[in-house]
Amino acid sequence: MLIAIRELKERIGSRSFLLFSTLGPLIVLGFVYLMFAFGGQSKQHWNVLVADPTGIMENKMMVNDDKSISYAFANDYIEMEEFADAKKYQLYDALLEVNEKVLSNKVGFVFFRESPSIRMQTRVQYQFERRLEELMVKEFTSLSLKDFRKIKQPLSVNFRDVYDPYNESSDLSGWVGMFYGGVIFTFIFLFGITIMRSVSREKSNRIVEVLLASVSPNQLMIGKIVGVGLSALLQFVVWVVVIGVGLYFMRETLFPDMLNAANMNIHDLTLQVDSQSYQDTAFASREYNQFVELVYNRVQFVNMTVFFMLFFISGYLFYGALFAAVGATMGSESDGQQFVIPLIVLLCLALYGGYYSLNYPESPMVDVLHYLPFTSPVVVMVKLAQGYYGPGHVYEIYLSLLALISSACLMLGLASRLYKNGILQFGHRVRLKHIFKWLKKS
Amino acid sequence: MNFMLEVKNISKSFFRKEALSEISLRVNKGEIFGLLGPNGAGKTTLIRVINRIVEQDSGSIRFDGDLMTENHLSQIGYLPEERGLYKNMTVEGHAVFLGKLRGLSRKDAHIKVDYWFDRFGINDWRKKRIEELSKGMAQKVQFICAVLHEPKFLILDEPFSGFDPINVDLIKQELIEMRAAGKTVMLSTHNMKSVEEICDRAVLIHNSKKIAEGTISELQNARKTGLYAVRFRGSMIAFVNALWTGFEVHDKDILGDDRFIVRVKMRGDSSFEDLLKVLIGQVKIEAAWEVLPTMDNIFIDLVQPKESE
Repeated sequence: MLIAIRELKERIGSRSFLLFSTLGPLIVLGFVYLMFAFGGQSKQHWNVLVADPTGIMENKMMVNDDKSISYAFANDYIEMEEFADAKKYQLYDALLEVNEKVLSNKVGFVFFRESPSIRMQTRVQYQFERRLEELMVKEFTSLSLKDFRKIKQPLSVNFRDVYDPYNESSDLSGWVGMFYGGVIFTFIFLFGITIMRSVSREKSNRIVEVLLASVSPNQLMIGKIVGVGLSALLQFVVWVVVIGVGLYFMRETLFPDMLNAANMNIHDLTLQVDSQSYQDTAFASREYNQFVELVYNRVQFVNMTVFFMLFFISGYLFYGALFAAVGATMGSESDGQQFVIPLIVLLCLALYGGYYSLNYPESPMVDVLHYLPFTSPVVVMVKLAQGYYGPGHVYEIYLSLLALISSACLMLGLASRLYKNGILQFGHRVRLKHIFKWLKKS
Repeated sequence: MNFMLEVKNISKSFFRKEALSEISLRVNKGEIFGLLGPNGAGKTTLIRVINRIVEQDSGSIRFDGDLMTENHLSQIGYLPEERGLYKNMTVEGHAVFLGKLRGLSRKDAHIKVDYWFDRFGINDWRKKRIEELSKGMAQKVQFICAVLHEPKFLILDEPFSGFDPINVDLIKQELIEMRAAGKTVMLSTHNMKSVEEICDRAVLIHNSKKIAEGTISELQNARKTGLYAVRFRGSMIAFVNALWTGFEVHDKDILGDDRFIVRVKMRGDSSFEDLLKVLIGQVKIEAAWEVLPTMDNIFIDLVQPKESE
């Protein structure tokens, strides 16, 4: 315990810890802010072709011209493939498909060539919606447009990539899992390297001999792993708190309307719709940013955080023991350099495992990576975020966790042998036969 | 049982290289015991085995009459040869940490730190980081860390290296006081003068084996050459003429102003008294003594022939 507390104090007192604890989450928050504020700004001007076979729209969109969108109208049915490939449509950035039943089913499709910015999506949706409202009021009601807007229901507009209409290549939820897995591995790697350096430093400055005269090598190793782990956990908690408070703050102050369309004062909007600047403000506040939705609504934070912690701790113990063993077997501090490369390869393999399961969640390879302790923390996070562990699959996450915990115990056992036999060896060349011999000795 | 430590037939090998071979020794309570030997003889390995840092392949160790266990470690103080400190900790923080690691409570650790910092006059260093200390200053801190928990048995591996003569003397005095207080000290050093000055007994290890053990005078007597030295004022010719056939001049040092030290070897049954009798009246004797080998001589004598084998 004393060893762990000393490690913890040393880590907390170090400049890098303070920097990583403060700047790290602030950078993430800054990144999130940028994503919120400029959610994929791309093309500034869009040519939209409105395919309106039945002429419902009457070749009109908005009363006031929107400088960022030009609409052209075609009164025939245009196939998505035709729009994608035909020469005559190449000057249009998107195809707004208005089906004949749009007034009753309230479904529209926008097929785009290049993913539009959130702002652009909102503008198209908004303008289309307003136009339909006018038409619906005229067609079905005796209400004034103003009254209608008070009672209207929101319209669903789906944006589809013409080359990937079902959006198969990207899965934002899976990416959240990947992010979680990435965080696990970033922390494990950073703090694993810390363990390795700390062990090799104690070896090279010989304090280890004084320590070993009071505690067993096993206690020393566990103390070190736990101490550094506690500092990692503390840092993680700081991250969670800072990012959590930051997200809450952003939600409450900077982007209050993003999350709830009902927050929008439709009445005011209708009255002031003529004012272009007000339109801009309204669009900005109403942007139903995919990223915002992802962060605030779609991610099951509680569930993911619980498993995140479990896999983080078990994964950390597994890798921590490995790093401690590597540190103990090194002949000199410079030996660490040659070990860092294979460890980075291992890390990349784990991250690639996550990426692989993101793209091929059902592949047999993923089934293997899912139980392999080197890769399971990130693969499980991805699968969890993808909602894989439904009924019938729940046991798999526990099985994977069990495999990871067992591997961590085994690794701790092996590492303690290497640690015990290697910690007092200085200035030697690391040889495999030594490592095997140390492993054999109890 | 008067032994603080009893080492019996300890052997240890690393990758087929024998570091200790059947080493046995006994350290009496309340003595300063010298552990001597050339570099690579196995002294540090033996110390590590005693401290349970390294496990012996065979043999046993008894501490204060009992078979040694981990519980005895808190009664041992250890200053390793290759000693280190956490460079970014403060002097006080470091001492308290190691004191607590040896079983002291936080409060006791602070009390002992106050006592030892006062005693060594290093109160000003308390808040300094270890990296700010000179080598000698760090050595003092390391010594304090080793004795902070008031161990019954203190093991010091090369405690004088890196110290100036004043601090060497300071450490020697501390060790002598500890002995007077009933503590036992095991001292591994190459400083043979210190061994002669403060050690009661010593063991000499060479090539992983014990080659000699005993009190300092026993070790010296076992290797005495039969030489006697006389310091006198007068004529060298008169001195030589006075010698009976029972004596032989071995060598001489000229001190100046007709003063000499002459080493004489006895022949036949001649004794030290016979020598003094024949010289009285011939030269003015200032001092006369039996020439005993220094620990340096004994060390070289025991180690060198074996090295040339």
